Amino acid sequence: MDVFLQTLVAGILKGGLYGLIGMGMSLIMGVMGIINLAHGQLMMVAMYITFVCFTYLGLDPYAALLITMPALFLLGALIQRYALNPLMEVESLLPENQVLMTVGIGMVLTEIARFIFSSDYKSVQTAYSSSSFFLRGISFSVALTAAFFIALLFTGFMFWFLLKTDLGRAIRATAQDKDAALLMGVDAKRITILTFGIGSALVAAAGTLLMPIYYLFPDIGSPFTRKAFVITILGGLGSTVGAIFGGLTLGLAEAFGATYIGMAFDDMIGLLIFILVLLFLPSGFKRLTKI
Amino acid sequence: MKGMKGSAVWFMGCLVLAACLIAGYPGQAAAADPLKVGVVLPLTGKLAKFGEIEQKSFLMAAEEINAGGGINGRPVQLIIEDTTGKPDVGRSAIEKLIAKDQVLVVGGGYSSSVTWASVAVAQQRKVPFLVNTGSADNITEQGWEYIFRLNPPVSEYPQALHSFLKETAQVKTVVILHENTLFGQSGSKEFMEQCKNFGLEVLMKEGYEAGAVDFKPLLVKVKAQDPDLVYMISYVMDAALLMRQAKELNLNPRLFVGGGAGFTLPEFQANAGEASEFVFSATLWTPSVPYPGAREYYEKFLDKHGTPTEYHGAEAYAAMYVIADALKRAETLTPEGVRAALAETDMMTVFGPVKFISYAKMTQQNKLPTFLVQWIQGRLETVWPKEVATAEPVYPFPRWDKR
Repeated sequence: MDVFLQTLVAGILKGGLYGLIGMGMSLIMGVMGIINLAHGQLMMVAMYITFVCFTYLGLDPYAALLITMPALFLLGALIQRYALNPLMEVESLLPENQVLMTVGIGMVLTEIARFIFSSDYKSVQTAYSSSSFFLRGISFSVALTAAFFIALLFTGFMFWFLLKTDLGRAIRATAQDKDAALLMGVDAKRITILTFGIGSALVAAAGTLLMPIYYLFPDIGSPFTRKAFVITILGGLGSTVGAIFGGLTLGLAEAFGATYIGMAFDDMIGLLIFILVLLFLPSGFKRLTKI
Repeated sequence: MKGMKGSAVWFMGCLVLAACLIAGYPGQAAAADPLKVGVVLPLTGKLAKFGEIEQKSFLMAAEEINAGGGINGRPVQLIIEDTTGKPDVGRSAIEKLIAKDQVLVVGGGYSSSVTWASVAVAQQRKVPFLVNTGSADNITEQGWEYIFRLNPPVSEYPQALHSFLKETAQVKTVVILHENTLFGQSGSKEFMEQCKNFGLEVLMKEGYEAGAVDFKPLLVKVKAQDPDLVYMISYVMDAALLMRQAKELNLNPRLFVGGGAGFTLPEFQANAGEASEFVFSATLWTPSVPYPGAREYYEKFLDKHGTPTEYHGAEAYAAMYVIADALKRAETLTPEGVRAALAETDMMTVFGPVKFISYAKMTQQNKLPTFLVQWIQGRLETVWPKEVATAEPVYPFPRWDKR
């Protein structure tokens, strides 16, 4: 029973963080209709900023959220404005080219990080990095628990933002039908820039929250890009709240798979679920939510 | 027009030639035909860190060799190719070194999976390859006459541990955790066999995907088994996370032992912090090993790069000297001649004595003792064998909740 509960807790906590990673990608997917394959790399940039803040300014990772999120918002907005939008202007180009562009951006970010920080492993050792508290014999990692609740907070905020604000509505309108949104006077270009910025800021939050418990090196981005992709599909392309469910599903699947099948099959289990969802729930968990 | 074209070709030719010369060994004039030595290492990708340590060590050794007159008056030129840590890229890297650069001999070979893919190419193309890191046993079990290995195979990493357990410990049950790679699988399988020979009961053996965020589900299972010994074959950051989460779960075996690779690096200690305290590890080399030049090499590396080196670096540094020695003795400067000279190697390096012999199922394999180290008060102390120990081993492992 203890093993079961511990697994459940591990899966849920990790799932919250996964949801946060997937949410940004999902949002970008919904509005631009492209998969952002630099997503994990953007997270890596945020992690390096967190690392620098901690090491050189003595700033706690939770405080660094206030720096990494705006910084990545800006970086994301600039990428959309100067690297992705120009590709839309060209008639002959397919949307696939934007995807290829994000792959390139991801590589560039990785190599810039390698150039500045070398391939060395870096980590942030806070007082709570390996501390945990016990509830009825079940160990909860302090940092992961905090990350989980902050992830929930952001999800709630996004939910409210997309449903209740004009800007949020404009984003949803663009996602649903770009031409119609244009006719209604939505400035679609501005919306795409904004969306990419928000998506980057969300994954920045995930990276910063992960920093106290994980570690960092330039190539850390691509495995997370892969995970974000799976989560996005699970959540139903373009659904932000679906992404949280997608993240939880993946977190739980990995945890239970690790405990009851074998940790070596971690990735396989995630991908198996991915295939099953594609087959039987083509729209992911999107049908469960409005946005 | 024709003249234009001709001169353009001529100009391009000069450019290519200049590029070749510039790409050659830095810090030396364009000397008469240097001896080309190929090196395959991961310089990008997730293994890049160790690849870089090895690259720096290779270059350092080559520089010293060239400063000391090179190979009978001719300089060594290292051509280092990036394998990115992927077997397919590793194959094409060594292909390029052999076909395009026509190197006499290949060194490096980091990561069992990549090395396994590359040695086959070297054997096929009849160019000697001195492997200095890839440690899966099967690499030297094929009877391939062009493949030499400087480092012990992964199955021998726990040698020192076994003698330590025999003398001091009362360990009966073992859990083996390993990364799910050729290195991890091969090492854990061998260790499991050896445990049986030692009369230890293996309660559980499980692999995991390297780079995982959360090892708790795995460690919970270990805790339920309550073993005396937890043996882990992991790279540095997985190692740190495993120990940190073992502390979080309050998992208390009699001892934690790392099977080489990640547990001896400064980054492990930096990342695991208190959770690294009293962890044992098998290792192939520490700066305090009783071989001439080992400590000097460590100091030189630290001076030059400002970061410490470790056993991978020592392997690379020693490999360069072994290659240079073979080149000096080669009767003909062809891959064939270098192969014959390598087979006759009998020398001392910072990594220990080198002699390529056949034993068990292996051919052209160097045989070396291994060591047991332990993190004590944040320092990596050699604790076994006793002759080279720098500290007394702390045993059994003090419980997390009693510290």
